[in-house]
Amino acid sequence: MTSTLAITPFRRAGAGARRTTVGIPPTVVLSFLVVLVMVLWSLLPGMFTSFSPVEGATAGKLEAPSSAHWFGTDYLGRDLYSRVVFGTASSVSSALVAVLIGLVVGSAIGLASGFGGGWVDAVLGRFVDVLLAIPGFLLAVVIVSSLGFQTINAAIATGVSAVAVFARLMRAEVLRIRGAAFVEASYLEGGTLLHALLKHILPNAYRPVLVLAVLQFGTSILVIASLAFLGYGDPPPASDWGLLVASGKTYPTAPWLVYAPALVIVITVLAVNRISRWLRKVK
Amino acid sequence: MKNQYQRFVLTRAGQAVVVVLLAYVLTFLVISVLPGDSITNSLRDPQRGLSEEEIQRIVAFYGLDKPVVVQLVLSLGRFLSGDLGFSLQSNLPVAQLIGDALPSTLALASSALALAVIFAVAIAYGAHYLPGKWASLLRSVPSLFLSVPNFVIGLVLIELFAFRLHAFTTIDTNSAAATVFAAVTLAIPVSAPLAEVFIASLDHESRQEYAVVARSRGLSEARLFVQHLAKPSALPAVAMVALIVGELLGGAVITETIFGRDGIGTLVQKAVTGEDQPVLQAVVSLSAIVFVAVNLVADLASPLVDPRIELREVVDA
Amino acid sequence: MPEQKNAPLLDVEDLSVAYGPNDVVRDVRFSIARGESLALIGESGSGKSTIAKSILKLLGTDDAEVTGNVWFEGRELLGMPERQFRPLRGRRLGYIPQDPGSALNPVRTIGSQAQEAAALLGETNPDARRSHILSVLADVGLADPVRVYDSYPHQLSGGMLQRVLIGLTVLPRPALIVADEPTSALDVTVQKLTLDLLADLRQELDISLLLITHDLAIAAERADTLVVLRDGTVQETGAAREVFKAPRSEYARSLYSDVPALNPDRYRSQRLLPDNRRRESTANPPRIEMQGVEKSFTTAGKRVLALDGVSFSVSPGTTHALVGESGSGKTTAARLLLGLEQPSAGEIRVNGDPLQGRRRSELRDVRRHLQLVYQNPFTSLDPTWRVSRIVGEPLDRFGVGGNRSRRAAQVREALEAVGLPESFLARRPAHLSGGQRQRVAIARALVLHPDIVVLDEPTSALDVSVQAGILELLARLQRERGLTYLFVSHDLALVRQIADTVSVLQHGKVVEDGPVQRIFEQPQHAYTRALLAAIPRVTASETPTTTIPALSEATL
Repeated sequence: MTSTLAITPFRRAGAGARRTTVGIPPTVVLSFLVVLVMVLWSLLPGMFTSFSPVEGATAGKLEAPSSAHWFGTDYLGRDLYSRVVFGTASSVSSALVAVLIGLVVGSAIGLASGFGGGWVDAVLGRFVDVLLAIPGFLLAVVIVSSLGFQTINAAIATGVSAVAVFARLMRAEVLRIRGAAFVEASYLEGGTLLHALLKHILPNAYRPVLVLAVLQFGTSILVIASLAFLGYGDPPPASDWGLLVASGKTYPTAPWLVYAPALVIVITVLAVNRISRWLRKVK
Repeated sequence: MKNQYQRFVLTRAGQAVVVVLLAYVLTFLVISVLPGDSITNSLRDPQRGLSEEEIQRIVAFYGLDKPVVVQLVLSLGRFLSGDLGFSLQSNLPVAQLIGDALPSTLALASSALALAVIFAVAIAYGAHYLPGKWASLLRSVPSLFLSVPNFVIGLVLIELFAFRLHAFTTIDTNSAAATVFAAVTLAIPVSAPLAEVFIASLDHESRQEYAVVARSRGLSEARLFVQHLAKPSALPAVAMVALIVGELLGGAVITETIFGRDGIGTLVQKAVTGEDQPVLQAVVSLSAIVFVAVNLVADLASPLVDPRIELREVVDA
Repeated sequence: MPEQKNAPLLDVEDLSVAYGPNDVVRDVRFSIARGESLALIGESGSGKSTIAKSILKLLGTDDAEVTGNVWFEGRELLGMPERQFRPLRGRRLGYIPQDPGSALNPVRTIGSQAQEAAALLGETNPDARRSHILSVLADVGLADPVRVYDSYPHQLSGGMLQRVLIGLTVLPRPALIVADEPTSALDVTVQKLTLDLLADLRQELDISLLLITHDLAIAAERADTLVVLRDGTVQETGAAREVFKAPRSEYARSLYSDVPALNPDRYRSQRLLPDNRRRESTANPPRIEMQGVEKSFTTAGKRVLALDGVSFSVSPGTTHALVGESGSGKTTAARLLLGLEQPSAGEIRVNGDPLQGRRRSELRDVRRHLQLVYQNPFTSLDPTWRVSRIVGEPLDRFGVGGNRSRRAAQVREALEAVGLPESFLARRPAHLSGGQRQRVAIARALVLHPDIVVLDEPTSALDVSVQAGILELLARLQRERGLTYLFVSHDLALVRQIADTVSVLQHGKVVEDGPVQRIFEQPQHAYTRALLAAIPRVTASETPTTTIPALSEATL
């Protein structure tokens, strides 16, 4: 089942993306399916595989993919597919944590900046400038090295490096909507600033911010996988996707150890990005 | 006009200096204040093989026995006088380590930037001017590029071109061929947002009334692109260049590790594993300087390139 | 070119344009003889611009399916390959766009773009091209051609840019010019000068004109033949004066009756107050009083006086109009009255009480009796809200109107008053037309039962037939509820229909004020006379203007 899901988005991405038929385009449906599978892998990994992710059979070391072992086995004879499935929770949910940090902190800063104006805007604006000035991945690396090599720290680091983009977007949205005639009309009708913020500005700003959050979710999966690849996440026997690729690359004779987890990463991020693009387009 | 531009330059340069200083402080705080092993603890790690005397010398140099604020002031003072300190791993001056690593990374990053621009322009031009099917295929390329981690790209390129086709070897890591493939690895993810911006602005500009009017005068599509659309659609992409430079520096960590190149990226990687805080502090601060400087140049150039930007507005903003 | 003597220059046969299943133009046919001018008239969605773009083959290759025939100088255009058609562009077929502000490349100088246009004509010597361009710029009435040549588009006014564009279009002496709403983005006085210029050049150079416009009065004044369009089909075709004098189709008749310039007294009877109310009205103190009001802004270190000693007063139950072009200060005056901005000097009184020196809460009390209807109904309603909540917002904010069900009843009543069915309560603005949105905005203004409603160009974003509906509604509401209106507008013809008294504003000063009738019959100030002259008059086509008026500073 996974392999069919895996291949189709590639082939169809071009054709379906531009079609503007009523309803949800097929590639988007497929993308949601991919995300659903990832959610299920995270929550109930045991339901999808009968093999243990940590215990292997030394007899079946470095076996190529087969009907028994879909993604083959690694140097300890562990089933790679089940390692991927069990690695989903930390690979994907840590990306979720990262997005939440970026979204909550960044939106709060952007909101305060755009709404407060004056010196509040100036101070927060400099802070965001500073966050932007340090290359995102480098900032994440420094933070995770300071907090310690764990996946949750990698998530926090990724989240912090995403704060600036959310802050910028939220500020721009607040300024745009604040100047709209319907917000002024609300003041004229006796509305307070708080009323305008809660009832007019936030509901109108939420969609672009949501689109960014989905996009950033895909980016965060990549960043966290990269940190895990460098060995900055949980150490083995954890099976974060990036870590799987890193440990697989030492066995050039068993390329599936690299390609299988790599393909899962690519498909997941592709699906998430497709959903983000779709959200940007639909009204 | 002249006076105004001077004022604009001064304001922006002042802001840039402030941002660099704050970036230094922020990095320092992240490295020293966040929980995790303190430097002194890690210095006593027997693996380092430092004598008690050496440890005392390092503690005294960085003021590690003093409060964080004092450490910060000391550190910032040295930074401002151009002293980047000593590596805790190799005992070499950080400036020397960076100086040794820089040429390789510069070669990598600049070829990657050039490739990224070429990819982005090619994708955008094709997506805009090729007939339907090809165009829609090209339009989904940036999204694909954004979805592949660059360590995967690197591994695939090495597998394919080094191991199978022997186009380069992973032993001579600084050969021209190896640099090209490393640059491609670095360029692909960077070209994606650039291509997206190009496509969007090309679509936008070609729908503008001025493009329609130029067509109505009998201008061919090719000349319309060169004479009218190229410049205004490149402007938003130019504004992104600082962001791109930041991404190149971040991406260099992974790319250099995979291709086994000695450069700033591997320097960072070694500093992280070796808990070499002075090196980390220096590399991050210098990256911030590069980012801010590139941004400043792009900013200062914008009123000269784009006549619509009124200096007064920029200065007031 | 072998061609029959009396064959038309342009002959459009059964032109249809479809985007997928939606056909936007159906079986349109008309023809233009050499030297003739023809106007395509229609409201938004009538397909008039699509027809123009199809003839010029500028629709873009996207998804438009164009069928039928377009014959131009004896050749069929629609089937012609791009390579053969391109030489006709510019040289035989000129195009003048709607918005001059966006019709020139913003990052290149006028000169370089003019050079490009001239080079396409085959002149190889840049100096020769330059002198040719400068002479054309002078021909279109630009006072300083060299400065214009060296300028970027954003450094010139809309009127000047449109002159540049006209100049570039006539430069190759095309046989036909297609002008798509060439003046609708310009101020009224500039509109007239631009149209006069176009008429003059046409006569001098023997160029035919296909004029696309929504304005029946302009069409009748400027064209020999009218083609009235609606929903992509031709309703009526004929000589301008005949279509105008005796429209045969019902649509043309209703269009005629909706044009303010042609029907100055249309709402007179509906607005007339009963005698007793009228006496009461003049006896009572004025609802609004402005005395010597000044407002200055500081932009980029320079102090700009937006309003300079403005005074007027409005009696209860009457309509006072503030008329002027962009930059005249009319909108600033309205915003001061609403307390959205504070005057730098002078006094504003509402119902006899001064507005200044009030605290926030007191200002709120004033605002209950003072409501605003915005110019653009597409930005004044929150797209995420439903109509019921939009109209009810003032009740909720002011905490008036009783409990929830009584408030709901008031919202329904307000909606009914503006002529919208109850089923609209659950809709969001995206599912309303422009006119419906403006009705919702009016309902929101009325729900508090205010004394005064400020109308800031309430119909300028709407089609003329929709405008007529809104004006009728406003007139009825005024009569029924004794409302006092402050009507901000750039359109004197509209003001004549709806207002009792007028203040004409120019550069922040009231240059003339008084009852509407007096202003129209005996204008004292030159600027008022210029505004009045800009109202299209149908009789004008019998006595075409022959001189190109030089652009004075005042009109730029």
